Amino acid sequence: MIEIRNIRKSFEGRPILKDISTLFEKGKTNLIIGQSGSGKTVLLKSIVRLLEVDEGEILFDGRDVRKMNFRDLKQLRQEMGMVFQGGALFDSLDVADNVRFPMDMFTTMSSGEKDRHVDFCLDRVNIKGAHRLFPSEISGGMRKRVAIARAIALNPKYLFCDEPNSGLDPVTSILIDNLIKEITVEFDITTLINTHDMNSVMEIGDNILFISNGEKGWEGNNTQVLFTRNRKLNEFVFASPLSKRIRDLKQREDDE
Amino acid sequence: MRILSEIGSYFLLMYRVFSKPEKSRIYWRQLLLEIEKLGINSLAIVAIISVFMGGIITLQLTYNMSNPLMPSYLIGLGNRDTLILEFSCTVLSLMMAGKVGSNIASEIGSMRVTEQIDSLELMGVNSASFLILPKIVAVVFISPILFILSVFCGIIGGLIAGPLSGVVTVAQYMGGIRTMFVPFYVTFSIIKTLVFGFLIATVPAFQGYNVQGGALEVGKASTRSVVNTSILILFFDLILTQLLFK
Repeated sequence: MIEIRNIRKSFEGRPILKDISTLFEKGKTNLIIGQSGSGKTVLLKSIVRLLEVDEGEILFDGRDVRKMNFRDLKQLRQEMGMVFQGGALFDSLDVADNVRFPMDMFTTMSSGEKDRHVDFCLDRVNIKGAHRLFPSEISGGMRKRVAIARAIALNPKYLFCDEPNSGLDPVTSILIDNLIKEITVEFDITTLINTHDMNSVMEIGDNILFISNGEKGWEGNNTQVLFTRNRKLNEFVFASPLSKRIRDLKQREDDE
Repeated sequence: MRILSEIGSYFLLMYRVFSKPEKSRIYWRQLLLEIEKLGINSLAIVAIISVFMGGIITLQLTYNMSNPLMPSYLIGLGNRDTLILEFSCTVLSLMMAGKVGSNIASEIGSMRVTEQIDSLELMGVNSASFLILPKIVAVVFISPILFILSVFCGIIGGLIAGPLSGVVTVAQYMGGIRTMFVPFYVTFSIIKTLVFGFLIATVPAFQGYNVQGGALEVGKASTRSVVNTSILILFFDLILTQLLFK
């Protein structure tokens, strides 16, 4: 479980996050949604302390990440896995070595054990026969899946995904969403996902935090999001005519 | 004010770079890769440039010092001392700042903009130490080797160009090479190459590590790193020459 309390962050005097508080639950997919530039990525990076917030508390199962020294933070980070927007795979390492990297750095596993665990992680994300390919030789969807495999390599307690669907086709997006959802439930981890993909919101949004201009605009789940009266959220969720039609049809169905 | 802030950031980065490595076995592997990438792959270019420069220095010395009062051994001696004192350490370091420095800045800069450095940090790896320390050790280790190779190739270059063009005989040239050799010149130049090697690795690494933005900024950082390293090499050349020859 991750709790944030009264988070504020500004860049050169310009406020980006304004007094945000919420709770991200364990075993659920917690989505942070909002328009581009609303502060989602800043919030996610602040939570993992890649950025320092100006004020507020960030509690990982009660442990305040802001009060941690370098050694404790390093320890905590070994409990985290993160999938970056572009995958952030190491260009100089092949797929298998990318997944193996955290094990090389932080475990005392034997070479055989590492190989078996790499196979397990890559199987888990449905990647077969690509162990010796380099990141530049695989597709965007595969890169995201390898990034997920690397993120779960050390059995993390917390998983962070920054726009895991960006640049992917709808079918691959759904595959990635389902994969993240399955992993969250299977490993009982706290998962935070930054997204502006409405399919993700509807498919896997157990908890949804809507950020608008750096403020908490709304909080709920994927059922509530359809019928909210929050104007800004409605503008965001039902931005396309297709989604408006779907909402109207769903409402008509419910009325009947 | 901005320069002071940059200098402060540079030293803070160096503090992180020289902290204890997470796993020494991984660092050794990285170090060997960097020695190959930054050092071994520079051997050919260093040898080629040095052969030509040795030949050119020999010819220039001959044409500009053709005087019956000048002893013929001065050609070999002049070529040797020019190579040892300035060309094979300073000029070669300026060239390495372009080749190796831009490589380091663009590699680390690309890793920064594609969030690979964030990814390392998030795993709990000291990214500064992991990425930069092996490069520093590799460049500092390989610099004296390149210096010695360069002096050797430069002397060979003179040996080829001088007698071939008929301005000096092999015996006259080799006599000059053996005359009035001052071993301290080699020590002095090796000290310089070690300092220059440190600058060649750290200044571009600093520029690359602090890139913000995209591909355009990586390119700018790479250019800035070459310019800054070159200026610093010449500045430290001046300081070291004054200090060590005093």
